[in-house]
Amino acid sequence: MLKGHLDMIVLAALSAGPAHGYAVIEEIKRRSAGAFDLPEGTIYPVLHRLEQAGLLAGRWVTADSGRRRRVYTITKRGQRELDERQAVWEQFSDAIRSLTKGRRPWRNPA
Amino acid sequence: MISEYLERLAKALDFDPALSRRVRREVEDHLREAVAADPTGDGREAERRAVARFGDPHVIATHFAVVSLGKQARRVGFAAMVAIAVAFIAMKARLGWYALMECPTGPMGTLGEALVSIDRCAFWVSVLSGMVGWIYIDRRRIPTTLTPEYGAQLHRFVLLSWATIAALMASVISDGVLTAIRLVAAPWSFDAMIPLASMLIELLCAGMLLVSIRDMTQRTASTGRAARTA
Repeated sequence: MLKGHLDMIVLAALSAGPAHGYAVIEEIKRRSAGAFDLPEGTIYPVLHRLEQAGLLAGRWVTADSGRRRRVYTITKRGQRELDERQAVWEQFSDAIRSLTKGRRPWRNPA
Repeated sequence: MISEYLERLAKALDFDPALSRRVRREVEDHLREAVAADPTGDGREAERRAVARFGDPHVIATHFAVVSLGKQARRVGFAAMVAIAVAFIAMKARLGWYALMECPTGPMGTLGEALVSIDRCAFWVSVLSGMVGWIYIDRRRIPTTLTPEYGAQLHRFVLLSWATIAALMASVISDGVLTAIRLVAAPWSFDAMIPLASMLIELLCAGMLLVSIRDMTQRTASTGRAARTA
């Protein structure tokens, strides 16, 4: 189920500000309180794909350690996509909540 | 341990050398960062944990292969339109040259007329299928993994690409025969180099497109096999 929402998870993590891959993964873990503990390597193809789709912009920078690292920033298009996906997710989530915690008893169709 | 892991990952990504170099650099930064952040202070153990958390390089490469294939398909879609446009310009330049030089039409006959019809028809078929294919693949979202839906979309695009190149080849061959008929009928002169050069451009465009479609077809098949075994 998580795989189907990876794009939204990554976009949400980057909505706080630009970050490199490692920081994105840490942000996902932190915000989900450790619930989303994915194999870290699976995030990188997602980052590349979202960059290819124009939802993220990537650039190489030199870190304090002297290593070159790629930093990703959410684009305006990416932010719009995130807003749309969040709206759909919230509708779905509300519907499931109503369904599972609804007060109306099920009518016996018989 | 990190160097060995990076080697394995780079090797698994060797289907796209530029991607392999980029991913290697990015993943090395990630793993070094993970080791530096490890609270145990045991370097070797930290490296082992960082590598284990990162995942199987072959599975990661399979995910990248889908992204790379999607990008390649879009490039092929665009390249088809460029190749068709350049072939069209070369053909128009050749016809313009004939008009400018007031070249005789030559003994075209029924064969010539048939070839002109084939040329026109095949060219417009290539334009249509190329454009449909390009728009079709460009609007498809590249998924995280090779889903059956995306696999079917790629398959449709591959078929459209083969239809495009087959039609373009038919058009270029017809052009070639027509040019040959015209040149054979006229006495040889240096002016013949212009139509020959324009024919060479058309052939190069069609040839390069053929190679890129063949490569994409092979990669679509190999990515599908890798996705099934991953």
